[in-house]
Amino acid sequence: MNQQQLIEQYVAGTLAEAEAEAFEVSCLEDVELARQVEFEQRLKAGFEQVARGSTAEFVRSESTLSWRLAAAASVVLFLCAAVYLWQRLPGAHPQVLAALTSTMEQDGPSLRLALVRGAESAPRLPAGEVRVEIVGLFDPGSDYSVMLDRLRQREAANIATLHGQHPTSPVTLEIMVDSDQLAPGTYSLRVIKQASDEEALDFIFEK
Amino acid sequence: MDFIPGGELSRRIREGDVSAESELIRQFEPGLRVLLRRRTGGDHGLLQDLVQETLLVVIQRLRGVGIDDPQKLAAFAAQTARNLAIASLRKAERQKTDVDSEATERKPDSSRGVESQVGDHEAALAVRALLRELPQARDRLMLKRFYLEDHDKEQICQEMQLTEAAFNQALSRARRRFRQILEERGFAKRDLLNLGL
Repeated sequence: MNQQQLIEQYVAGTLAEAEAEAFEVSCLEDVELARQVEFEQRLKAGFEQVARGSTAEFVRSESTLSWRLAAAASVVLFLCAAVYLWQRLPGAHPQVLAALTSTMEQDGPSLRLALVRGAESAPRLPAGEVRVEIVGLFDPGSDYSVMLDRLRQREAANIATLHGQHPTSPVTLEIMVDSDQLAPGTYSLRVIKQASDEEALDFIFEK
Repeated sequence: MDFIPGGELSRRIREGDVSAESELIRQFEPGLRVLLRRRTGGDHGLLQDLVQETLLVVIQRLRGVGIDDPQKLAAFAAQTARNLAIASLRKAERQKTDVDSEATERKPDSSRGVESQVGDHEAALAVRALLRELPQARDRLMLKRFYLEDHDKEQICQEMQLTEAAFNQALSRARRRFRQILEERGFAKRDLLNLGL
């Protein structure tokens, strides 16, 4: 029998009397052993004191904990699903592409995109929150979708899409582009009239 | 500090060495508390009294006629403590024969010292905290059977389909956490012992 087993049996009162008495003498000869035994006695006394009130603490159902775990798991699952959907929703990157919402934005940097025949170079998007003024013929009563794609070797990767945009005039549609969110490269901004077969207006610019 | 054999302690105390008496108290007090705790049923006041009384009896004996076998000083001190505990129990039994109708209606714990109640209270709080932290109902039940119902390990392992290693691991974790909780509550190891916690 090792020392810990002796301690446990002594504290539980299951050692034979002669063994218990010999063990007590050992405790008087070994301060550290006595401290270990007293610790175990205190632990047992603590349990007994708790049990005097009620034994409910010992038999507490795991249902509460299970319920909490289930709730926590549901929240995590919900958040994961929300993030997944958010990342895939069209127009879900307002930090890159946004509707023009305030006149204050009129004062910042801007870029004018227009279809110009024979233009030799694409316009360059300035840094910061840029108001992009798209020039074309628009139906003021219709909604337009604006798609921002990055062009790489004839491939277009969609960065963001903005739906339900209204022209500010029959010849202008304005949106905000956060230039700082875009890596240097060539981009395409396409404007499509929603619920219509009309051909998209396609503008190229550089960042 | 090193352990000083009983023979040397006995000789030095007999020669009037006061530091040897202090050393005897340092060496024997923890063990006497263990021994007497078992015989005083959680009455901390009585426990403290009996520890003091035992040490006093042993020192006076060593200062005077001494003991037959000084090498067995620890055994002598242990037997003195047992005798004093039995005497105390007999005294308490005798006092019970003088029935005080009002006293019998009092709660059993009312006679216990404040320190004892505080000590038990702190230990109980630590155990409560420990139980709250245990996520598995199985672990709580295991501790209940071990500490309250005094079931032996084999029986518990068999009934709860646990390996002995798993049982020991859970028990060891519980002990470690109990000590941490007490220490976090401001009870250092020395304080726990001094207060009998």
